[in-house]
Amino acid sequence: MDQRRCDCGSGLRQARCCDLDPASLARPESVDPLLPLLEAAQAALARGEIAESERRCLELLDIAPGFGPALTLLLALRQASGPPAAAEVLARRMVRLDPNDIAATCALAQQLLQRRSLAEAEVHARNAVRIAPQHAQSHNLLGMILTEAHRAHTGEYHYRQVLALVAEPDPTLLANLAWNLKTQGRFAEARSFYERSVAARPKVLQTLLGWARLEEADGDFTAAGVLLDLAEHVAPDDPAPLLARAILLRRQGRFDAALALLDRLAERAEGQHGTDEWLEKGRLLDRLGRPAEAFAAFEAGKRRARETTGLAYQAAAAQALAGRLGGFFTEARLATLPRAGVRGDGAQPIFILGFPRSGTTLVEQSLSAHPRIVAGDELPCVQDIADLCPRLLASPLSYPAALAELWMGDQHDGLDRLRDAYLHRVGQLGILTPEATWFTDKMPLNETHLGLIALMFPAAPLIHLLRHPLDVMLSVFSTHLTHGFHCAWDLESAARHYVLVMELVARYRAEMCLRYLPVRYEDVVQAQAAQLRRMLGFIGADFDPACLRFWENPHPARSASYAQVREPLHTRALYRYRAYLPQLAPVIPILAPLIEQLGYRIEAPA
Amino acid sequence: MTAVTAPLDERFEQARTHERAGRLAEAERLLRDILAQAPEAAEPLHLLGVVSFRQQRPVEAAALIERAIARGANLALCHRNLCEIYRALGRLDEAVAAGEQAVALAPQDPDALMNLAIVRYERLELDAVLDGTARGIALKPDHADLLFKRGETLLLRGDFAAGLELYEWRYRINGVAPLMPPTAAPAWDGAPMADRPLLLITDQGFGDAIQFARYIPWALARCPDIVIACSRELQPLLSQIPGPRGLYDRWETVPNYGAFCPLSGLPRLMGTRLETIPSPGAYLRAEPARRAAWAARLADLLPRGYRRIGIAWGGRPTHANDRNRSTKLASFAALAQLPKTALVSLQKAPRQAEIAQYFGAAPLLNLGPELADFDDTMAVLDSLDLLISVDTSIVHLAGAMGRPAWVLLPYAPDWRWLLGRDDSPWYPSLRLFRQPAPRRWDLLLQEVVAALS
Repeated sequence: MDQRRCDCGSGLRQARCCDLDPASLARPESVDPLLPLLEAAQAALARGEIAESERRCLELLDIAPGFGPALTLLLALRQASGPPAAAEVLARRMVRLDPNDIAATCALAQQLLQRRSLAEAEVHARNAVRIAPQHAQSHNLLGMILTEAHRAHTGEYHYRQVLALVAEPDPTLLANLAWNLKTQGRFAEARSFYERSVAARPKVLQTLLGWARLEEADGDFTAAGVLLDLAEHVAPDDPAPLLARAILLRRQGRFDAALALLDRLAERAEGQHGTDEWLEKGRLLDRLGRPAEAFAAFEAGKRRARETTGLAYQAAAAQALAGRLGGFFTEARLATLPRAGVRGDGAQPIFILGFPRSGTTLVEQSLSAHPRIVAGDELPCVQDIADLCPRLLASPLSYPAALAELWMGDQHDGLDRLRDAYLHRVGQLGILTPEATWFTDKMPLNETHLGLIALMFPAAPLIHLLRHPLDVMLSVFSTHLTHGFHCAWDLESAARHYVLVMELVARYRAEMCLRYLPVRYEDVVQAQAAQLRRMLGFIGADFDPACLRFWENPHPARSASYAQVREPLHTRALYRYRAYLPQLAPVIPILAPLIEQLGYRIEAPA
Repeated sequence: MTAVTAPLDERFEQARTHERAGRLAEAERLLRDILAQAPEAAEPLHLLGVVSFRQQRPVEAAALIERAIARGANLALCHRNLCEIYRALGRLDEAVAAGEQAVALAPQDPDALMNLAIVRYERLELDAVLDGTARGIALKPDHADLLFKRGETLLLRGDFAAGLELYEWRYRINGVAPLMPPTAAPAWDGAPMADRPLLLITDQGFGDAIQFARYIPWALARCPDIVIACSRELQPLLSQIPGPRGLYDRWETVPNYGAFCPLSGLPRLMGTRLETIPSPGAYLRAEPARRAAWAARLADLLPRGYRRIGIAWGGRPTHANDRNRSTKLASFAALAQLPKTALVSLQKAPRQAEIAQYFGAAPLLNLGPELADFDDTMAVLDSLDLLISVDTSIVHLAGAMGRPAWVLLPYAPDWRWLLGRDDSPWYPSLRLFRQPAPRRWDLLLQEVVAALS
């Protein structure tokens, strides 16, 4: 008999776990004789004898690997002590064995949320709601997932369903809802839910940290500091409050103090910083003018991210997508495809395109200070439509080949449906106001889907932020980003993805008529008024001086640049790469042709 | 079995045969083999230079032929070829020197005189062109290239009487496709012909057809039954000229005719002189529904209140003078700095791909992919404030519509744009901008921007 334990970490033999043949499972009623063994395992757990409980549970499942109650017990054990991969495998198996198992479905969604596989997590959380529409935990899970997936408005709906379903709201739920409202920029409402949550349960670290981040984002550094005092008091050994404090100190310009705090944190952790701590340290060292040390910290942070997540740039997938898109959106094919009509009954999109850290947040904050433009932020809707496209067009093909259905007599108006689906989703996000003529969509790397965007919105302004590619790389490397097939995990993969996307943009521009405006970040910070007039003129909006003072825009930015756009315009991020040329040397050969095409040069520090 | 290598001379002859037959890759492979064994062999160096030039590698070609000359190759032929290669590279001073050297070494070679005349023309040394072509024609009175070049030169100077006669040599130039399939019908002599149809043929490029379409009413006055052989693309345009019985894009469908005439032959038959160029006003117009559709689309795509300037920077790449008359989008960079201006590209592929590398301040709309035919182009021209274009069919279209257009001309322009004037007797709505020196698009664009500012 093969005694090998399964690689997933469940503790089961491989033949009883990931190599299990479902056809070999016994009928449910035939396992009744095993109930005493199950009761023994449960009793051991109740006594706190976890190892004994686990041993009995594994024995039980070795006899009957499809025995639901035993799987539930082992799942609970793995959820409590890991490994997470095993919990996911077990939950997945339970859902397959019984698709109506609400506990297993929620557990699977939870595991997927924890490893930030949001799209799949959403599928199972939605199933949970379908199975049990009055089940508070299902709504709560869906609320969390949607909040993380930049659909906070829909997430809020599910949190409020929980509030309606439970007699006494759990303080964690209140905190979750508060965080959701914070991400929507509804700071006052968020604050009141944090107050209720803390009043009900004052010593929850995550609640205090979330509230502190709210105050920090809202610019009330004193309140944030008080909350962090409380958080440290609640969890004196936890590194999270110290990291949050360091961020707060950086925002107050106290770089040395912040760095000292991080060093203290490192001492405490015996030098084992997490990703966030390393990146924060790098940013502080950068502000202190210590580029070599800063870059080393960024490298350590990225390395830590790779180690802890196991994720890496999905180069093949990125190449394949670019190949499919470039192959589909050709002049000859586009000449035969229809275009969606322009809706005149509501706010229309302005697409702010660009690689992460190219200045898209700055431009969105500036434009959305205009009374007729509202900020949509990083809307997931274009990707949603790309994903939904085959279904909406009743196509057996995937995107973009599914657009071939537009040649069919019953699908020739399909682009209008895609456009309406996009606008409907945007409407659900709750960002639109009655006075808005336009809304912005600044999801980074939306330019990957420029062809689809231009088919759905042939008259929409496309503002493409350009920035010196080496500055982009440096900034990407100093920030924790998940966009672009995880390209930001590594400097070289970020550069390769940047080139891939820019080549795709070039192809779209050569093959299509686009309402496209390239805008350089460098011009925006050096000639702000002229560039804003240029962009507003391009959009068709009158100039409004409020756009010049973007940092006073009441709409809070939600991207990694949220802090930068709360301070007046500055030029300190211009050509920051010059101090990092030795560190950036590995990616210069990759980027050099693009740097030249874009009209930039590579210059050493003056 | 061991391969037996042919002697060098034999392989060189094989390479020469390949080159003459247009099998350039094979020729190059053999020549490189030969040069690997005999790196300083002058004749193979020269021939490889010729092959490289024909494969669009003029820099390499010049270097190879310079080496061949240094090794004592057939000097007259080398200098003659080098003259043309330097011209292609825009190294006109060196081209003149090489051309003069070729003529000095082979004063009886009319081809050497021809190559030199072409360079002189590009430098607008027209007296020298007339002198050189006269010498060449004296050596070989039926040298079509020399006769045609002389005709072009005279036309450029405004001497239409002599120029249009010599312009008729255009179909006898080496490599020029025949006007039409063999026919027993005579070429029309311009005399009235009431009893039989006259076949007009749109020869040359689209721009020529648009320009000379103005002569159709004159021909109709002499031959009331006219049929026109033209490409499908031109049919929407020529169908706007009232009178002709039909337009045909396939020779086998052309009805019987009594005589034929290329459209570009009509100015000579009419006896056109500078002062008698027919100026019928706008004789082409956009179709109203198409115009309305494009007006609405451009209103959606372009910022309100912006000046709309259409641009095109290249003509048909296979045009003999494309190197001089076409440029790159990058040459238009100065236009991108104009305030409250939107650029609308009417450029078609393959050059429209250059738009991908445009990052200028003014918005630039790539309309090329959506312009299906001349009807679309005319409709768009009606929605623009101005067209700025190199010498290509679009400027003829704008001129024939009476739409404002600025034409960017090379230092030595096509004869129809004449010399030393910024207007055109052919099209009153056009304004001409001329390069102040060969290939100085930058200086020309500066002048354009100054005129716009």
